[in-house]
Amino acid sequence: MTYPRRALRQSMAWIHGWLGLLAGWILFAMFLTGTASYFRPEITRWMQPELSGRNAPPARAAAAAARYLSAAGKDDVQWFVTLPDARSPVTHAYVQPKPDPAAAPRRRAPELLLDPVTGTPVTARDTRGGEHFYRFHFQLQLPVLWGRWLAGLCGLFMLAAIVSGVVTHKRIFADFFTLRWNKGQRSWLDAHNASAVLALPFHAMITWTGLMTLVLMYMPWPITANYANPTTFTEQAYDFGGEDAASGRPAPLADMGALVRDAERRFGGPAGRMVVRHPGDAAATVAVYRGAGRSINARGPSVTYSGVTGRVLSQTGTGGPALATAGVLLGLHVAQFADGPLRVVFFLMGLTGAAMVGTGLLLWTTARRRPGAAPFFGLKLVERLNIGAVAGLPVGMGAFLLSNRLIPAAAEGRAATEVSAMFWTWGAVALAQLALAPRRAWAATFRAGALVFAAVPVADALFTDRGLPGSLTHGDALFATFDLSMLAVAALLAFAAARAGRAPAPARRRARAAELAHA
Amino acid sequence: MVARCLTALAGGYAAAAAAASLVARLLPVAPVEATVWGMILSFPLYAAVGLWAFHEHRLGRVATVVWGTALAAGTACWMLGTRA
Repeated sequence: MTYPRRALRQSMAWIHGWLGLLAGWILFAMFLTGTASYFRPEITRWMQPELSGRNAPPARAAAAAARYLSAAGKDDVQWFVTLPDARSPVTHAYVQPKPDPAAAPRRRAPELLLDPVTGTPVTARDTRGGEHFYRFHFQLQLPVLWGRWLAGLCGLFMLAAIVSGVVTHKRIFADFFTLRWNKGQRSWLDAHNASAVLALPFHAMITWTGLMTLVLMYMPWPITANYANPTTFTEQAYDFGGEDAASGRPAPLADMGALVRDAERRFGGPAGRMVVRHPGDAAATVAVYRGAGRSINARGPSVTYSGVTGRVLSQTGTGGPALATAGVLLGLHVAQFADGPLRVVFFLMGLTGAAMVGTGLLLWTTARRRPGAAPFFGLKLVERLNIGAVAGLPVGMGAFLLSNRLIPAAAEGRAATEVSAMFWTWGAVALAQLALAPRRAWAATFRAGALVFAAVPVADALFTDRGLPGSLTHGDALFATFDLSMLAVAALLAFAAARAGRAPAPARRRARAAELAHA
Repeated sequence: MVARCLTALAGGYAAAAAAASLVARLLPVAPVEATVWGMILSFPLYAAVGLWAFHEHRLGRVATVVWGTALAAGTACWMLGTRA
């Protein structure tokens, strides 16, 4: 087969179709779960209704956590402590105990949830919470390395699809305002263009910055070109220094509250986390990192103290222009600087991303369907995969949230069961829809999603004491907003089901030629 | 078509990685900064090379430019050695 010589716009339109088709289903899932991850701490809080939400300033929480951890483990190697903030009013601690040759090797240290005020462990139902959607959006529930490489490849396809899509476009400004409903393929093209163009800077930004979050894994070669030993780079860039061994001489830990308060004075903002190495040893060090504040740069400054005398050992800033740029790219992706209305805007932009990929996938099938002709195998396959991904994934995500309320709080291994609930449900609806004709399968799958999401607030009211009527009257803003959002998602899916079930208006012949030239 | 896809995916990665590394090695700023600039540049470069591989219709030219860039920039990096 000879490769045709084409004008730039034609070749870009052709490759745009292939890139979208090959990566589309995974990209849709990455966009949808990634968008949900804008509310990662809120989802986690909703999934642990037992936690009271009692909060304390970071310095007080640090002192309380250190008191408890010192008493619990005398010779730990280090503690990673995430301090509470307004969105996540609980202290998270990962403890790396002294290696014990006699004990069986553990895969990773268990996470402790500590009360910000008292520092003692709090008990809440075991759940992956919002972390599950977050991890899935770049690891895809595969072994970590495979998942991240696959996500990276899809991200690259997305980046190339955005560039080729923009080149393909003849009238990028006019399409911003164009949405013709009920015109079959023309409408899907308009919807694809509107969702793509409307948030184009967001899509390009989120794709490029997403690749940048794992750049050390995807593109380590610039490091190899400059450094004989790659750890020199990470030390210079991220201040991962201070790997001193313990001295073996015991010494009491300095007052963590005072250290964190000192660091906050230097940052001019709240501390976010701290790493305590060799607590209780004379060589102990405490690194305090700035929290997610108003700065877009995700690479906050840090201060490292002696853990015994409290003397400042080292300080890092935000680095030079390149490091600051990389930090801002990372910050734009995770959007921790955005609170309140801006976060909602990011969430809605993320949804337009999912809509752009979803409508692009639909366009692929509508552009190839010929009236009266039997659909070819590839068309049927793509159509079924579209239904399974676009309409099926929301059912699975709803099932994950619903299972959190249905599985007893004390059940053994319940966190893993919740995750299984999502994938078994998703797989089941993806198979079950094969029994129906495509249009009815679209409608039925969307309807299943609407039912699952509508059931979430019902189950919340039945099985917890923070259900909707109570949370509204008691001013429990997080739970009320979450339950109302579930109803909004259910309404959106019900609307999609109603639209999908309706027969399309007959396409006018005259418009077709123009459409195909444009697609 | 297989050769073209392979050149776009593997060759494009190799060319983008080698060119970004060469930029990182040659930029007259601190090595840590130059390295990060190279990384920031690498993904748009990869996407551009990959797309061009599907625009240019002469496969020979695509392969020569893509693999040639990878080889030339890679060799240059290797001969220059590390900075730190």
